[in-house]
Amino acid sequence: MPESIVTILDVAIGGLLLGSIYALIAMGLSLQYGVARVLNIAHGEFIMIGAFCTLTLYTVVGINPLVCLAIVGPVIFVIGFLIQRTLFTKLRTSAPNQAAYEGSSMLATFGFMFIIQNIALIAWGADYQAYTYLNFGVNIGGAIFSANKLVILGFSIGIGVGFYTFLARTRMGKGIRSAAQDATTASLMGVNINHVLALCFGFGAAMAGMAGVLYSMRITLNPFMGLQYTVIAIIIIVLGGLGSIPGAFLGGLILGLIGEIVTKIDPSLSLAAHYFMFLPLILVRPKGIFGK
Amino acid sequence: MLEVNNINTFYGRIQALWDVCLKIEEGEIAALIGANGAGKSTLLNTISGVIHPTSGSITFLGQRIDGLPPHSIVELGISHIPEGRKLFTDMSVRENLEMGAYSSRVWKQKQETLEQVYQLFPVLKERAKQLARTLSGGEQQMVAMGRGLMSRPKLCIIDEPSNGLAPKLVTEVFEKIKSLREQGITILLIEQNVRHTLEIADHACVLENGRIALEGDCDELLKSDHIRKAYLGL
Repeated sequence: MPESIVTILDVAIGGLLLGSIYALIAMGLSLQYGVARVLNIAHGEFIMIGAFCTLTLYTVVGINPLVCLAIVGPVIFVIGFLIQRTLFTKLRTSAPNQAAYEGSSMLATFGFMFIIQNIALIAWGADYQAYTYLNFGVNIGGAIFSANKLVILGFSIGIGVGFYTFLARTRMGKGIRSAAQDATTASLMGVNINHVLALCFGFGAAMAGMAGVLYSMRITLNPFMGLQYTVIAIIIIVLGGLGSIPGAFLGGLILGLIGEIVTKIDPSLSLAAHYFMFLPLILVRPKGIFGK
Repeated sequence: MLEVNNINTFYGRIQALWDVCLKIEEGEIAALIGANGAGKSTLLNTISGVIHPTSGSITFLGQRIDGLPPHSIVELGISHIPEGRKLFTDMSVRENLEMGAYSSRVWKQKQETLEQVYQLFPVLKERAKQLARTLSGGEQQMVAMGRGLMSRPKLCIIDEPSNGLAPKLVTEVFEKIKSLREQGITILLIEQNVRHTLEIADHACVLENGRIALEGDCDELLKSDHIRKAYLGL
């Protein structure tokens, strides 16, 4: 296979990999902001926690990182569910209006960000850490890819599609979608709004946590790695259309591909590229790709 | 069936309902009429639990329901079809109808209920796969009513169903409401179309400035000078 095709394939797989991780993170934030109306500044912290837990579970206890998905995902879901059910439900009922609630809940998540970062700092220290898993080459038509890249890609797309199917097909999924469109009317249909908002916050946190589990195979970890992912997730959900789950998924893939292409040209430009492509798109389609 | 006793409801600091009482008997069509801003929708939202009264009580089939959240009130058998249809516009007609059966009491029977709703509104079966926002106003009102029936209600609260519809469709909507009563569903109808409403309802209350100004059987109300002047323009 000619060198140029191998490079293109390499960038494409790398971009899709990054994009599928972004997609999970953005779908999570889209649930939290689009439905539960909490702009969760601590979203990236759940990625960091997912990644560090995997590091410890794998290197200390010896649990396979893919098995960690099934542990970390549900645990973070429960934590997210309880946070919404206690703290945010209280903030929501005591706020005089929606705007006041969005403000106070966002400030609360700022607090969470510092708390979680410092807990991680105590637990894991400030050093950069990493581990290796499935780090051998797989030959696909002459191009060599690291096995963990393909595994991460497969699992994150699987989780994203699985979650989308859950939203589209199940009773609970329909309850979430209806609450996203019109919470009051959904409650008149029999949807328990406080319960649905807690589910959304829980699922959102769990998706970030699972993205952290998967991506930890390829990155170096430290307690302050989360914020950059929060910023990227905010860009993606605005890009994809606020509250749109397919928009978050597609927006994530697009941003990942662009990030990877730019990184190939000059790594220092990748974050700048995210913002730069965001600007023209938001000028042309102010409500995002899937926005109405 | 439903008893509202001395309800006072506030929006923030503004009092919207003052000592409102309302009684609905099983099997009747009760009507609530009043001008814009008289507090009709506030009263409905108070009954269905979207807002809570600061004082007074609401009982449904002998059970206190003031203070319950909306989803529990649906579960007990009150269906509130909101003003302005409020469809889930990004969902198909069928999904909208299924949402009406979200309560655990009725979710399992939703296929059966769906067939009954299709019988009442055959056009919805043809439109089942279309997104709700692509429908005409009249069809959207049918979806809203069908969705409200999917919870198999004992009491159905219908807020301004004829709003924005062509006269021919208004007649059709009122016909459907009469047929609901024949199926044994008690109805609380809120309308600006006062003449039509008083013709099909048994009993009506007139709400003015957040207070019940007048109530009685519809035949009597139709003869009342106040109603004829203020609402029928005679």
